[in-house]
Amino acid sequence: MSLQYLKDAAASGDTEALIRYVRLHLGDGDEAKGRKEIDKAWIEALKPLLDLPPADREFIHETLTMKDLATLAHLFFDLHFYLVKQSGEWIHDGNL
Amino acid sequence: MTGTSSDREQLRPGLWATVNERYPGSMITKPDLVPLARLEKSLAQTRLTFVSTAGVQPKGTLPFDVVHPVGDYSFRRVPSTAEPADLEIHQLKYPTDGANRDLNVIFPIERLRELAAEGVVGGLTPDFFSFIGYNMDPERLERTLAEEIAAAVAADGAEAALLAPA
Amino acid sequence: MQRAIERRGVPTVSVTVARDVTEHATPPRAVFVPFMMGHHFGVPFHWDLQRRIVLEALDRLGKAERSGEIHDVPVTWAEARREGVAIERALGLRTERRPG
Repeated sequence: MSLQYLKDAAASGDTEALIRYVRLHLGDGDEAKGRKEIDKAWIEALKPLLDLPPADREFIHETLTMKDLATLAHLFFDLHFYLVKQSGEWIHDGNL
Repeated sequence: MTGTSSDREQLRPGLWATVNERYPGSMITKPDLVPLARLEKSLAQTRLTFVSTAGVQPKGTLPFDVVHPVGDYSFRRVPSTAEPADLEIHQLKYPTDGANRDLNVIFPIERLRELAAEGVVGGLTPDFFSFIGYNMDPERLERTLAEEIAAAVAADGAEAALLAPA
Repeated sequence: MQRAIERRGVPTVSVTVARDVTEHATPPRAVFVPFMMGHHFGVPFHWDLQRRIVLEALDRLGKAERSGEIHDVPVTWAEARREGVAIERALGLRTERRPG
């Protein structure tokens, strides 16, 4: 979708158009793959937490309180790709 | 052994249509043609630059933004004296296995240096230019990044430019 | 991008593996190679082929007559890969048959 298409969708609340784009972006142009990638990222995020390892919660708290929305949203995308890479099932060409 | 005519077709047929279907309005169509700038001198007297859309950059610099949903509209300078070992690629949109083994398959920096050393090409600009071709806002790309790179190419004294991938 | 550079008086030529995309974008000069995405100059270690593609492109700077032309480089992906494999074997980089 062109950027204008996405902006119009955001303005009019067309959530289907927006999530469709996210799935395409995460799924290397394939919406069904994109859905699986979203699930995969969450599974990879869950696994390391099962044994309650220590996490740098101060860093997380500081980041969430100090950083702006654009940075945090960008980080969300970065974390998605980081986590799917962790799974070992990399569906994209090229390198991060 | 000669190949059939299908050997000379692009390996991913209908790429424009496919991408435009998935991301309508994202693919560029230009109905008009830009008049050719003429090569003033012979190639052997011409200073050449190289512009890459492959996401090649010097190691240790901030990676190109491959996760951003709308794209990365920045460019990097890559010294034309750089060794492939000092460079890395960041992009997600096409296979880099060949380039990972031999960067010249996508960024022929060593071949260009050889041609300059042999005098086939008059010389190279001090820097080549690199960005990521993937972006969802072609208008922004044209307005900002395309103009920035074009200005830098001209300011650096390039008398001709090779671009790839395109 | 390429058009912006040409407009500043710097002659340009690009290398494409996606003929249909280039036909839409109409850059001033382009050469088409029937290669895989990301392998615009050929295959690893095949220095002659890489050089040849560079030279075919640079040749268009002087030779192209009309803006928007796409020139075909007379080469096939099958040839490129076959020659590349032979070169790698000769260099000792490939000791067993690999698929693809």
